[in-house]
Amino acid sequence: MSSSTETKPKLAAQIRDLTKHYVLKSETVRALRGVSFDVPEGDYVAIMGPSGSGKSTLLNLLGCLDRPTGGSFMLGGDDVAQMSDDDLSGIRASRIGFVFQSYNLIAQLSVVENIEVPLYYMGRLNRESRKKSTELAGMVGLGQRLGHRPTQLSGGQQQRVAIARSLVNDPYFILADEATGNLDSVTTEEILALFQRLNDEGRTIIMVTHEDEVAAHAKRIIRLKDGEVVVDEQIKDRKTYTAEEIEEISKNAHLANQADEEN
Amino acid sequence: MLSLRTWILGLKSLLLHPMRSALTILGIFIGVAGVIWLLAIGEGISQAAQKQIEDLGAENIIVRSIKPPDEAGASVRTVEMFGVSRAEMRTIESTIPTVEQVVPIRELPQKFIYAGNQNATPIDGRLVGCSPAYADVTKLKPARGRFISSRDMATNDSVCVIAAVLARKLFPSEDPLEKPVYLPEKKEYFKVIGVLEPRNATAAIGGSLAAQDFSLDIYIPITTMRAKMGDEEVKRASGSFSRSVFELTQITIEVESPEEVPRTAEVIEATLRMNDPQRQDIAVIVPYELLEQAKATRLMLMVAFGFVAAISLVVGGIGIMNIMLATVTERTREIGIRRALGGKRSDITNQFLVETISLSVVGGIIGVLLGVVFPFLVIGLRWLTYTFAADTYAKLPDIAKTLQPEIVPLSIPLAFSISVIIGVLFGLYPAIRAARMDPIEALRHE
Repeated sequence: MSSSTETKPKLAAQIRDLTKHYVLKSETVRALRGVSFDVPEGDYVAIMGPSGSGKSTLLNLLGCLDRPTGGSFMLGGDDVAQMSDDDLSGIRASRIGFVFQSYNLIAQLSVVENIEVPLYYMGRLNRESRKKSTELAGMVGLGQRLGHRPTQLSGGQQQRVAIARSLVNDPYFILADEATGNLDSVTTEEILALFQRLNDEGRTIIMVTHEDEVAAHAKRIIRLKDGEVVVDEQIKDRKTYTAEEIEEISKNAHLANQADEEN
Repeated sequence: MLSLRTWILGLKSLLLHPMRSALTILGIFIGVAGVIWLLAIGEGISQAAQKQIEDLGAENIIVRSIKPPDEAGASVRTVEMFGVSRAEMRTIESTIPTVEQVVPIRELPQKFIYAGNQNATPIDGRLVGCSPAYADVTKLKPARGRFISSRDMATNDSVCVIAAVLARKLFPSEDPLEKPVYLPEKKEYFKVIGVLEPRNATAAIGGSLAAQDFSLDIYIPITTMRAKMGDEEVKRASGSFSRSVFELTQITIEVESPEEVPRTAEVIEATLRMNDPQRQDIAVIVPYELLEQAKATRLMLMVAFGFVAAISLVVGGIGIMNIMLATVTERTREIGIRRALGGKRSDITNQFLVETISLSVVGGIIGVLLGVVFPFLVIGLRWLTYTFAADTYAKLPDIAKTLQPEIVPLSIPLAFSISVIIGVLFGLYPAIRAARMDPIEALRHE
């Protein structure tokens, strides 16, 4: 594991004995009771578990939105568990790519501006970055809609903008929270195909889901129960798309865009 | 990170709700315009007051005679003389070294009529007996002809000088010069030798010196007045009868310089009250002191008006805060997204501050613009009323007709900067509240 923040470590993330307690009025809720796992670079992990299993808590910790009560979370050479609020913001801007269930695009910004937001908070907005954002929009098939507002896009299109946004800062991993939860089955396929393509290109993806169908596309599955890891294994019969299928799906998606364009 | 982009973003967010932003701006701009307007009105009022006092003459001291109230049941035969006397006037003139000159004045309410048209209704006016220096001291200028001369005084001539308004009323279609004016009550004729330029009324100062309206005056040599009318005035109205005896109604004393005025006034007061310190039939008025008082009053007026205007600005600020609090709640989700994507607390604070500052700056600018055009607005409004609602115009109080607002130059930067400060102050709390939100909670917000 490299301690340098310049080059990416072999491990995208390393979690050791992570605990999180919430103190309510009369009792302490132990949401996570010592969770440990590594996420190597290029991995595609699905985190599953019933409600109350600590899944959301783990997601918040992985996303650096919250600090653990105990244990360590190494992201690059840095232990995120010890960081200040401002430092955590910096980490979120530079090392994590968020994809949310409800897309979470900013309404008053255009497609390309939405993609740029993490760069804006890193203070790295320039002509170069605009070019990169434009390329990413093209990569997810929205090259023709750079100036559109989120409300002018369909759910699948919005989610693709969100994925482009999650890639703009070259993150250590993409953290997808029920990324297909609001989408129909066709669009779900589309997004999962996009994820696989990104993973094939070497991107690390951590995906929280409660759908087995969706989880089946990952390489590895981690199941939580009562704040502990109960299953952590490679998926043997992983569902994958062939290169042709990916081609087909993305072409269809782009065709759908074209049709919209003409309306 | 208050970059250009932050500002653009802020403006975009504001334009997302144009109506809401416009109403918020309205609150601030009324406040700013209010500050400028109220201060301009205050300045206009006090300048007008100062001008009126200055018209009395800063180097003058005025002694007025005051008629004592009629004692109930007192016999009319035991009428005593009241007011400042000719002897006192001479004493002042000859014994006080700082006195430049003294102008005697004796005023009588009279009816006038043009002798060439005796069927006309007599016009109520004021007969003023005075010396030639009167014109100089009260800054009256003859528009045509001349003022009373010392020769007129010496010969007790029956000549008169009439004020512009009275001249128009008495001689609607003729040239008044060399024409006779008839006083039906005194059965006397006077020949017009001059017509004066119009002159504004002077300030009303306390009970002793009412606002002096010079528009219906006729001036005659005081010597002529004494020779023809004496010192006794008898008024007969239906069933009532009154007598009064007085030599002078006023003397105006001109002093060498304004600096000598307070000291000289003390000496004059002492001289007049030498025998009776409790004397009630005279009043010594010092315009110089009144001017000093007026300047102090001006300051108070400014503070009071400024305070009222500041309240309206604060109300505008509360409006901003109210809107921003609503906006913050409404945009909780966006705040969560921005925090998740790497926005620091300070980024969020700045983002909302930029919006409030934009609102208050725009409101401030519009307010300043509207403030600056205020004097023209007043003129325009007056003209509109005069043209389209003449009756209403006639009923307006004098102040509404004559007041000219004077923009206080300092009020413009003052009002503007207060509006910006208020924008920041009232925007700070909502902005900090936005920044304090837990990103996890904010993201979950629907």
